[in-house]
Amino acid sequence: MFTFMLRVRPVRHLIFFFIKKHMTETLNLNELLLEEFVLENGLRVVLNPDQAIPVVSIAVYYDVGSRNEREGRTGFAHLFEHMMFQGSENVGKAGHFQHIMKAGGTMNGTTSSERTNYYETLPADQLPLGLWLESDRMRSLAVTQENLDNQREAVKEEKRLRYDNQPYGQIFDLLGTMVYKNFANAHSTIGSMDHLDDATVEDVREFFRVYYAPNNAVLVLSGAFDRETARQLVEKYFATIPAQTKPNAIDVSEPDEVAERYREYEDKLAPLPAFLLGWKIPPRRTPDHNALYLAGKLLYDGDSSRLYQKLVKGEESVTQLFGFTDERRGPSGIIIGAIPKSDEDLEQIRKVIVEEIKEMAEDGPTEEEMVKLRNQLINGEARSRQSSLSRAQGIAEYTLYDGNPELINTEINEFLKITSDQIRNAVNKYLNTENRALLDIIPGQEK
Amino acid sequence: MSETFRQTVPESLGAVPFNIPKPKTETLSNRLKIVYLEDKRHPIVSLRLAFRSGDINDPRSRIGLNSAMASMLNEGISEYNSREFAEEIERLGAQLSVGAGLDNTIVKASALAAYLPEILNLLAGLVLTPTFPEEELELYKQNTIEGLKFQRSQPDFLADEQVARIIYGDHPYSINSPSPDDIGKLTRDDLIKCHSAAFLPNNSTLIVVGDFDTDQVHKEIERHFGKWKTGEVESPALGDIPIRRKRTLTVVDRPGSTQANIVLSNISIERNHPDYFPVLVMNQILGAGASSRLFMNLREEKGYTYGAYSRFYSKRLAGSFEASSEVRTAVTNDALKEFFLELNRIRDELADERELVDAQNYLAGVFPIRAETQAGLTGLIVSQLLYDLPEDYLDTYRDNVRAVTLEEVRRVANQYIHPEILSIVIVGDADEVVLQASEFAEEIEVFDTDGHPKDVNKMPDGDGGEPEDFSGTWKLTVDSQGQEIPVTLTLTQDGDRVSGNLDSMLGEGTIRDGRVRGKILSAVAITEFQGQEMELGIKGSVEAEKFVGTISTAMIPAPLEFSGSRS
Repeated sequence: MFTFMLRVRPVRHLIFFFIKKHMTETLNLNELLLEEFVLENGLRVVLNPDQAIPVVSIAVYYDVGSRNEREGRTGFAHLFEHMMFQGSENVGKAGHFQHIMKAGGTMNGTTSSERTNYYETLPADQLPLGLWLESDRMRSLAVTQENLDNQREAVKEEKRLRYDNQPYGQIFDLLGTMVYKNFANAHSTIGSMDHLDDATVEDVREFFRVYYAPNNAVLVLSGAFDRETARQLVEKYFATIPAQTKPNAIDVSEPDEVAERYREYEDKLAPLPAFLLGWKIPPRRTPDHNALYLAGKLLYDGDSSRLYQKLVKGEESVTQLFGFTDERRGPSGIIIGAIPKSDEDLEQIRKVIVEEIKEMAEDGPTEEEMVKLRNQLINGEARSRQSSLSRAQGIAEYTLYDGNPELINTEINEFLKITSDQIRNAVNKYLNTENRALLDIIPGQEK
Repeated sequence: MSETFRQTVPESLGAVPFNIPKPKTETLSNRLKIVYLEDKRHPIVSLRLAFRSGDINDPRSRIGLNSAMASMLNEGISEYNSREFAEEIERLGAQLSVGAGLDNTIVKASALAAYLPEILNLLAGLVLTPTFPEEELELYKQNTIEGLKFQRSQPDFLADEQVARIIYGDHPYSINSPSPDDIGKLTRDDLIKCHSAAFLPNNSTLIVVGDFDTDQVHKEIERHFGKWKTGEVESPALGDIPIRRKRTLTVVDRPGSTQANIVLSNISIERNHPDYFPVLVMNQILGAGASSRLFMNLREEKGYTYGAYSRFYSKRLAGSFEASSEVRTAVTNDALKEFFLELNRIRDELADERELVDAQNYLAGVFPIRAETQAGLTGLIVSQLLYDLPEDYLDTYRDNVRAVTLEEVRRVANQYIHPEILSIVIVGDADEVVLQASEFAEEIEVFDTDGHPKDVNKMPDGDGGEPEDFSGTWKLTVDSQGQEIPVTLTLTQDGDRVSGNLDSMLGEGTIRDGRVRGKILSAVAITEFQGQEMELGIKGSVEAEKFVGTISTAMIPAPLEFSGSRS
């Protein structure tokens, strides 16, 4: 049974004004239609019906990520993601992806510091199949010694393939330990093989019981379905899964200082030296975080960005320049990195980056840059609404992290109203400082 | 609380019809073809200007030219220099980029619908008025040469390079990448010539998808592209595709590799071949996905690899069949056996009805997902146009998939997969790979990572007679950076198969996958080190009663040498 109904809203338009060659134009973005309800067992459900194309996407987000892992038990959240494909009471081993593919669908699961997610996109008529599969593993995952051993091995292969055997494969995890001090934030999602080896079936069962409970999850459907039918199906498959005691809230607080300012790391597979710079910034959905996200776009995103123009063009010293915001519910990060050409002076390149940050901290973005940000935000928003999967994922994040799916329709305004002054001040406070981590990557001697 | 409804797979709610929207086609007097598809769901537009010439049009003396020309298009146009141009595009929040492929070169643009006139203007500027500045060309050459060096460290690049050479011989499809010398030779004049030869209205199609009014946009397009001059389209110079007569093994020696990257290939069909759909369905059964036979066998059952797949790379003029996997080096021989077993099985036996239906459901089912986004929709239209597929290709796609029969699956497997004359390409540690794979091929060639041939005769000889006897207890000393570690190996041998155990101060282990070829033993030992399971590759031979060889593991960069004798 649904205990209460939160919101059902009619279709509205989100209207944006923007300046185009001295004329003000408006742009209409369809507001996503959302219906939210909570089952008695605490499972939060959001429906986003959209009949345009006969497909449906299902997203199940569990409130567990590497941030929830204890010391001595790193890598558990990710190991679990693997376990979730190993069968449950009524679904055979590895049956999940077989069922989805045979129905003409696609699926996957991912783990981050913040959450573990599972999702599938199916032909619209296969909605019951998707709900059956997701509910069966939520209620009756097969946590056996055999599955555990087998998936530990798969995770090891994955670690070899993606981290240990790749040039620059481990540097982002290393930088994380330098930026963040709190264990919950600092350790890597892939975790330690020793810890995984230590895991017993009992540990894993307990982890499943606590974190994979309906009251610790969010279910979102987006795409072509009848609302009433969908609601009945959700209830049929999920309502009888028992709730569990809510896991304790975790402490992800951080001191202002980064954990470690400098480290050298020898990467045997790297053909060229490289470096990463990392700063600690406020949590997502705070004005300063948003301002820094925009500052980052101006610094390193695209061919017209300041650092691309200075380093890849201009000085011609760098072949690869990149940066991103490490967006978290708690203290977050900004990372900028470069792979310079052979024989370039890395110190000089870092000086250019630091000076560019200083300039933005003093003068802020230009008017032109503010127009660019505005257009990029609106364009990005419109494009991300095309696919049912990206809608479902966006809604699921806002529901899980913020308890408010409606943010999918309104959050963009928080970005659009940020001013050049706000960006300048945030850059000055958080980036224009010696309080940053520098990781120097030295290529190994082996060829 | 047994809920019996959970025990059966739920029924479908009833298939929902799906029709690809109908585009409208116009042609200008200069023969530029334009396809319009109005789609008002979102306030955005996507454009593609696709040219029917690509890297295969490069003259043999100017390899890499078309790609260079395409990459340089946004480095300056008559109205803006490189930086201004990037700023103009990104100020709109828009994207404008160029991609060069073997058959085609495609300009892609997308923007908010309100900026369609602006993005059209920039697109026209890029296509019609590039300036190819000298200093930008110099930077492109420098950066590209750095990139070419880097890709030689990537095993999949090394494998693809050999496959293209072996399958396509003198045909331009054989050229996988330019060399640094090729790039060094390119001049601004070359780029200008290449641009004027390829970028002709009668060699291209413009596709516009999204929220716009066709009549209005058509006028703007006429204004921008109406005066574009028609020209003579040059056909690429084609060479012969070799006829294969035997199975060959090509090894690229990448010392220290922990994995062997295997690619099996033969020539197959071009993109608009009438057997395209039977081939698509057959390959879905064989190896296209994670529920196909190759994946189920090599990964799920045998655990040799993280993935095993097959593909038909169908280009405009020809295509290849390729089956590939990255496996632990020690199981290269076993993996090849399973590959050949599966390739023969799909040729010899009719597939199950169930497999056929599953494959068809998958292919027909995922098709509409691609139509959700403008990028997916334009992609579908572009391939229909560029590969001269029938007008109703997109409408009949799912029916064509469903029409394929079990007999057709077997027929096309026999017609387009040829195990007896396959090329086997393996990138990995050549000493080991040659030993393990040579029994599958009539001819062997070995290259280094720079593409230079190595002397096969210096490789350990795999068929050098009777397997040497390794049985007994060996007291060995392993040299670990000057530190000597004693290790005891206790081996029993049955023919060429070796098993046993390993004992050292670092822990105990068991020997797996042990095999003797001629005088050389290769084996894997599974051991525990500081509570962590570790895989050791052991390789060595007996010389004058001494067992000499190397131990390697993913945890250390270079193999450790050992030697010792029987106790």
